[in-house]
Amino acid sequence: MNEAIRLPRDAMLSVRGITKAFGSNSVLKGVDLDITRGSVVALIGGNGAGKSTLMKIIMGIYQPDDGDIYLDGKLAKLGKPAASLAAGIYLVPQEPMLFPNMTVEENVLMGFKENSSVLRKRLAGLINHLGWNMDLGRRAATLSIAEQQLVELLRGLMRDARLLILDEPTSSLTFNEVKSLFKTVEDLKAKGISIIYITHRLTEVFQIADQVLIMRDGVITLNGPVTDFTRDMLVAGLLPPNADVRDAANACVAQDLTGKDPLLVVENLTGYGFNDVSLQVYPGEILGLAGVVGAGRTELATTIFGRDVVKSGKVYIQGRDVTGLSTRAMLEAGLNYVAEDRFLNGIFRLSDVAANTTAANLNRMSRFFTNFKEERKLTDQYIKAFRTKVTGQDQTIGSLSGGNQQKVIIARSLSTMPKVLILDEPTRGIDAAARGDVYHIIAQLKEQGLAILLISSDMEEIVELSDRAVTMYCGHINQEFAKCDISQDNLMAAAFGVIEGSASGA
Amino acid sequence: MLKKLLHSREITAFAFIVLMFWGVGMINPAFLSATNIWLCFNSSVVFTVVAIGIALVIITGEIDVSVGATLGMTATISGTMIRDGQPWHMAIIAALVVGLLIGSVNGFGVTVLKIPSIIMTLGVNGIVRGLIYVYTNGKWVENISFDFKSLSQGRLFDAITYFYLGALVLMLLVHLFLTRTKRGKYFAAVGDNIGGATLLGIPVDITKFKAFALCGILAAVGGVLYVSRVGFVTPIAGNGYEMKVIAACVLGGISLSGGVGSVIGASVGAAIMASISRVLVFVGLSSDYDNTITGILLIIIVVSDSLIRRRAVEKARRERLAAKTLHAITDGKGATHSA
Repeated sequence: MNEAIRLPRDAMLSVRGITKAFGSNSVLKGVDLDITRGSVVALIGGNGAGKSTLMKIIMGIYQPDDGDIYLDGKLAKLGKPAASLAAGIYLVPQEPMLFPNMTVEENVLMGFKENSSVLRKRLAGLINHLGWNMDLGRRAATLSIAEQQLVELLRGLMRDARLLILDEPTSSLTFNEVKSLFKTVEDLKAKGISIIYITHRLTEVFQIADQVLIMRDGVITLNGPVTDFTRDMLVAGLLPPNADVRDAANACVAQDLTGKDPLLVVENLTGYGFNDVSLQVYPGEILGLAGVVGAGRTELATTIFGRDVVKSGKVYIQGRDVTGLSTRAMLEAGLNYVAEDRFLNGIFRLSDVAANTTAANLNRMSRFFTNFKEERKLTDQYIKAFRTKVTGQDQTIGSLSGGNQQKVIIARSLSTMPKVLILDEPTRGIDAAARGDVYHIIAQLKEQGLAILLISSDMEEIVELSDRAVTMYCGHINQEFAKCDISQDNLMAAAFGVIEGSASGA
Repeated sequence: MLKKLLHSREITAFAFIVLMFWGVGMINPAFLSATNIWLCFNSSVVFTVVAIGIALVIITGEIDVSVGATLGMTATISGTMIRDGQPWHMAIIAALVVGLLIGSVNGFGVTVLKIPSIIMTLGVNGIVRGLIYVYTNGKWVENISFDFKSLSQGRLFDAITYFYLGALVLMLLVHLFLTRTKRGKYFAAVGDNIGGATLLGIPVDITKFKAFALCGILAAVGGVLYVSRVGFVTPIAGNGYEMKVIAACVLGGISLSGGVGSVIGASVGAAIMASISRVLVFVGLSSDYDNTITGILLIIIVVSDSLIRRRAVEKARRERLAAKTLHAITDGKGATHSA
């Protein structure tokens, strides 16, 4: 039974056979992993691959259902965060978890047992050693995200962390901030600190990592020194095994738009988070809007949809000037927006599928009392068309899988009969099969002549679906691609603000 | 130092009390006599102690609406024991134990059973109120010994009562605990960002439990002081105190969402709350308006506070977005936008 488990000798952290399920949803299916001292390990994988869950288990926030964690070759019991912290593991979350009403110093020194004068001296020494310039008296609420991350790093280093987990640290940083973060990572590595670096950006892997891990569907599918891999190999590792035929099947035929009038026109639009954005979407066309998280895509979409003020510029739907109208007026004008975050902005979690489907359309459902026959008819129509997996219309939407929830949300938007649809990250956090279904639905909508603006940070998604694509970088549209020029490489480069050569439309 | 003082959240409460006294003094100069001002502060002793207790809970981001019932129950128990001639210290210990017990039940419900604190403490409030009737058969506790009642009358320099002096010492001790000790700082940390506190290994649930337990104990202290000051206990003693002390905290700059504020502010707020009924009398209105005015104040402060905060959050968000966008232009690299 209890065989001696062989671990690499220089492994600081080893993980063996970790499994974890939430209800019937199995998130980790047996993960093995070794982290060498003083190495930077890049962990990549799509949303829902299980990265965060694995990290939370290492941090002692979740308990694994099965499997063991070893520190320096010895079996470790990491039952709670305090144990992991004591073992020298520190997680820098994607959104820094500071105390906004406390000063930087209070934030860093919170949670220590030692005398505060000793701690202050240590902190001063540490900052001096790192050569950082930091005002310890500032309130955390006034710091930029990058500064907040530095505070998080200080917290970890003050705990003599030997393993830092950085969860997508660059996702909301500006270009220069990313450069200085990389320098910090190099410094820490030189001091013998191991780093797990979670990222969605392949270019970063080659810039700073020694070792690369890819997770997909709860298992590690690729693991080895970065030098053994090329970017294409990593991309292949991220894709499901049967996805390699996609590019060939996706023939490059640009749509003929002559003689058509665009349904959605955005002219020199400026608002909070974006500047001077112009684009057009034609009927029966999918315009991909690519860019990294924080580039201003969602701000653009929500501003068009009437959720924030327009500073300057114009928005036209079917030739009608609708600039700055309220959300309700936008809906009437024929625009609908499927929000990025289903839980925050999408579903009515405790209501059933039928109520969720028809929620945007209650005027049609009722004069005063809801016409349940009509409601059932409409719901049934969409459940069939979208192949939504439900036990019945009365199932609460919260108990559906992410993909099926998303289908219901799209159905709800469509029930208002929009002419223009903005889809914001439509397949975030949903599994591969459901993703295929959602793609199929989007393609159908295109056939029906809707103008679709598809916002995604998943470059594959943009490549697969878009007829044209634009990339957004730091609040600007920095490049436009015709159908034949859309490739993951091109999009990624432009989304990163690196424009190679002269592409069309730029 | 002055700047820090002016920016502190307690300053509004100080300003409020000064303005209120000055304003009432304009209408009726008798209000500004030293005797009357001392009376205002001295009579706030029960509110002050209970407000300090509930402040601990509010700073951790929770709420306790059972403090009035806890005060009533502990006042009933200690009052009965003193009336029946038991030693005072036994009566006081009994009150504190009952307060600790009720606070612990609240803490258990919130941290272990994960019941929202408003619901948990509302339920406990009902249970305790009911038990008071069972315990007393609805009768008043009267005939408290004169010696015990006269405790509340002892004064230093003929001005400040020993009770109020004690409350101020308590306030300072709790203030030092919250701002100068590690475990004390956990209270604000838990209320400020509970997720962040968990990640740092701060014992979140234990801290919240402590807050409820201490709140219960301080409500019991309030109950004993009540017996001495008032001299009798009705079954509805302490009714409505929860609103008074919550309003005192909010007026004193403690945020209902947790993480911000001090017990000094709460104490100033308690003095304001205790003065309102006197103020009404001095300006020629019925003191029946007391609760109404307290309620109005509470809502006005909470609403304006949340409006200010929402605006600040929105402004910070926009500034951050603007910074990102502008950055692209100065960055130079790849920031050319399509024509």
